Amino acid sequence: MALLSGKNGAHRLGPMQTLPGPMKTWPENEPVDYCVVGVGSAGGVLLQRLARAGFRVVGLEAGPFWDTEKDWVSDEKGSYELYWNDLRITGGTNPLALGENNSGKGVGGGSVHWAAFTPRFHPSDFRIYTEDGVGVDWPMSYWDLKPWYELLEREIPVAGPAWFPWGDPHGHPYGPHPLGGVGDVLVRGCSKLGIRTVAGGPVAILSASHGDRPHCIYRGFCLQGCKVGAKASTLITHVPDAIVHGAEIRAHAMAARINLRNDGRVDGVVYFDCDGKEHFQRARAVIVSGYAIETPRLLFNSACPGHSHGLANSSGTLGKYLMAQAGNVVAGRFEDLIRLYKAPPAHALSEEFYETDPQRGFARGFAIQTVGPLPIAFAKQMVAAMGAWGWGMRRVMMDYNHWATLGVLGEILPWEDNRVELADEKDRHGLPVAKVTFNLHDNDKKLIEFGKNKVMEVMWAAGAQQVVQESRFAHLVGASRMGKDPSTSVVDKFGRTHDIPNLFVCDGSIFPTQGSANPGLTIQALAARTADYLIGQGDPIFFSSRRDQHEPQIRYDLSPPFTRFKGNPRIA
Amino acid sequence: MSKRSLPTSATGGEIRDLRQPGYYPRYSTLGQKKAWDETTRHVVTGRVGDTPPVRFFSREEAEVLQAIIDHVLPQDDRSEERTIPILPVIDERLFKNELNGFRYEDMPPDRDAYRLAIKAIDVMARERFDASFPALTVHRQELILKSLHDGEPDPAHPIWKTMPVHRFWALLMEDCVTAYYAHPWAWDEIGFGGPAYPRGYMRLENGLPEPWETEEERYEWNAPVDSLSEIEPEGAPPEHGSLHGHGGTH
Ligand SMILES: Cc1cc2nc3c(=O)[nH]c(=O)nc-3n(C[C@H](O)[C@H](O)[C@H](O)COP(=O)(O)OP(=O)(O)OC[C@H]3O[C@@H](n4cnc5c(N)ncnc54)[C@H](O)[C@@H]3O)c2cc1C
Ligand code: SF4
Repeated sequence: MALLSGKNGAHRLGPMQTLPGPMKTWPENEPVDYCVVGVGSAGGVLLQRLARAGFRVVGLEAGPFWDTEKDWVSDEKGSYELYWNDLRITGGTNPLALGENNSGKGVGGGSVHWAAFTPRFHPSDFRIYTEDGVGVDWPMSYWDLKPWYELLEREIPVAGPAWFPWGDPHGHPYGPHPLGGVGDVLVRGCSKLGIRTVAGGPVAILSASHGDRPHCIYRGFCLQGCKVGAKASTLITHVPDAIVHGAEIRAHAMAARINLRNDGRVDGVVYFDCDGKEHFQRARAVIVSGYAIETPRLLFNSACPGHSHGLANSSGTLGKYLMAQAGNVVAGRFEDLIRLYKAPPAHALSEEFYETDPQRGFARGFAIQTVGPLPIAFAKQMVAAMGAWGWGMRRVMMDYNHWATLGVLGEILPWEDNRVELADEKDRHGLPVAKVTFNLHDNDKKLIEFGKNKVMEVMWAAGAQQVVQESRFAHLVGASRMGKDPSTSVVDKFGRTHDIPNLFVCDGSIFPTQGSANPGLTIQALAARTADYLIGQGDPIFFSSRRDQHEPQIRYDLSPPFTRFKGNPRIA
Repeated sequence: MSKRSLPTSATGGEIRDLRQPGYYPRYSTLGQKKAWDETTRHVVTGRVGDTPPVRFFSREEAEVLQAIIDHVLPQDDRSEERTIPILPVIDERLFKNELNGFRYEDMPPDRDAYRLAIKAIDVMARERFDASFPALTVHRQELILKSLHDGEPDPAHPIWKTMPVHRFWALLMEDCVTAYYAHPWAWDEIGFGGPAYPRGYMRLENGLPEPWETEEERYEWNAPVDSLSEIEPEGAPPEHGSLHGHGGTH
């Protein structure tokens, strides 16, 4: 048993919550049931469910196990370490900025620095090939996932309007947040144009306290990690409960390779500890939850005889069909003060343009959302949006409090040439790093053009005197997609690789398409569903190759504490 | 800073030797540090107190880069003792080789990018004006920098054939604004609330100040007459994907 608490008291997870200790430790040479690589949005939920159901589980996390009081700051530059800052190479005709624009490192993964917008996908997102003839259909429907959407909305829990009118209309367990200056601009501009909006959510941010987590204090530092504990991250929502139920989380453990046995099943994970020492964790099954870049990278780096192009890559689709959402930021300058640094960046949106409208001349659509860049992020946006430099930069920044910013969140379709591969460069462990290639296609370009113009129109309608925009991309998913056909996809609808019966992928990388909703809630709902599937299957996962494709029973008895008695209102 | 170029007020008077530029004259974020949590206080006050030594760049390189920084993020209106360190912060990042998580496939590593660019800019100065970059007048320095900003290096230099000038420009600008706008004196200048835990905010709408914040007090502010870095209406650079390593949003 390892004590997590440092010398000066407990390991803190917010002002009220401490990490339960001591944490169980599993010996490396005795196989655990599941070794989960990456304790992020998906990994945290998986570990919690599987531990509660009595499985022996170890989570390997490349980054640190945050003590939120000691490690996190209410400061933009000081939050650099929350991100995956190790080298990746980026290219293509529209190269994606990675680093702080992209993914996290440390227990909680991307849920530590996410803005916590939690819209669901629409039913149409699961069948865009059938409906619009683009992309692919998912091997499952919205209705298959819906019970887990509702459950996760109660677990993390989500605050928002009682009535969310788009997709499958629904309400939220916690009440909406008060409006900040940027949300006010969004509502004002949209209302002038007759566009419906919702405000105060849906966000995984507490509008009332929840167990040992206080509610939001509107400080606006969500992307810097919420010291308050009001914003959900798996670090504080699921990992503590996983530990109570016997999971071991091994921080600073960088998985290097998954080991394949002669019989075509995996038997554990090779990883490096913080001193660079190599270890081997034995496991009866392995789940990779490392994010849409690191997941394919690990599978490529695990290539071995018989799988020379990477593990689970007989289809040749591993790394391909990587997606990012269009995330253009539109900034407007107002005569009156806005003070955009107050309130959570995520707090109002419109999905009025989400679905395909044939009159627009492209398939699929986009959402309009509030964003709230702090000074450094805003200054960088002004470099791109206005070419600001020198005295021009000083001048525009002196007006920081007069600006409001809105984001486009647009669906980019899955394309084979958008991909993750291995680069020639290596990291400090000698492991080849990922190379990401991204190109926009015709439909994507038309969608972005329309979306940014529409949001600029909203900004003008809200009364801005000057409107500028910058092009950017957010939320990488895909690259290890699920599908029915093993020759065109990597995993089945439960994340089980087609090639190796005890190797799973569970994170954003299994998305076949991405809608224009932020991916986090869907990632966590899918993780809970996969866990319930594995629990339902029981031990045969560890020795049988039989593939049961029946929908699993949802396990309402495995939620973390404080979930009971919460509801999902439906006010028609 | 020997060569200054000063913004002017409505009367045309020079704006200089300010302890605090901007429109929030009595506002001080550091004055609120008692309301911050301990870790944040430590990080932010450390940023003000300890300027890291220059260890990565050579003296000659540092001299050229300082002259560049003096124009891409000028502080001539600030008094000497309230100048925000930028070069030492960039130097420290490169000295520790702290990455921003990625490299464009058409760019050299950040360390090489800076070294190559500094050399090229000095050579450009000598070719066009017959003197080293730091020795040029403000106007001539800005002419060269503006040509980089515009993506049309004048005079041409072979390095910009192998290293895309717009990417280097974005790298430089981002490093500069990261150093400057991470500093509490810059927060005072722009009226940003600064760290806000555990206290938080209570007045979210209509741009209203908290009791410890101050109202804006605007005055006419004009960029120096000889400056080339004022924002132009069509000043946005062409789009090259998301060309910078800036923070994410939603
Ligand atoms: C600035 C920003 C704002 C965002 N806002 C929102 C939002 O408002 N709403 C939303 O839904 N989404 C948002 N996102 C996206 C969201 O954060 C991600 O989609 C989500 O966290 C991805 O989940 P994941 O499980 O796929 O991976 P992650 O959460 O990134 O988890 C992967 C984990 O695996 C670890 N790991 C990787 N490789 C290895 C290895 N080899 N060995 C050991 N560990 C490894 C990583 O360190 C990481 O902790 C935002 C993202 C950014 C950058
Ligand atoms: S705005 Fe609310 S949710 Fe965001 S960091 Fe602050 S307290 Fe946390």
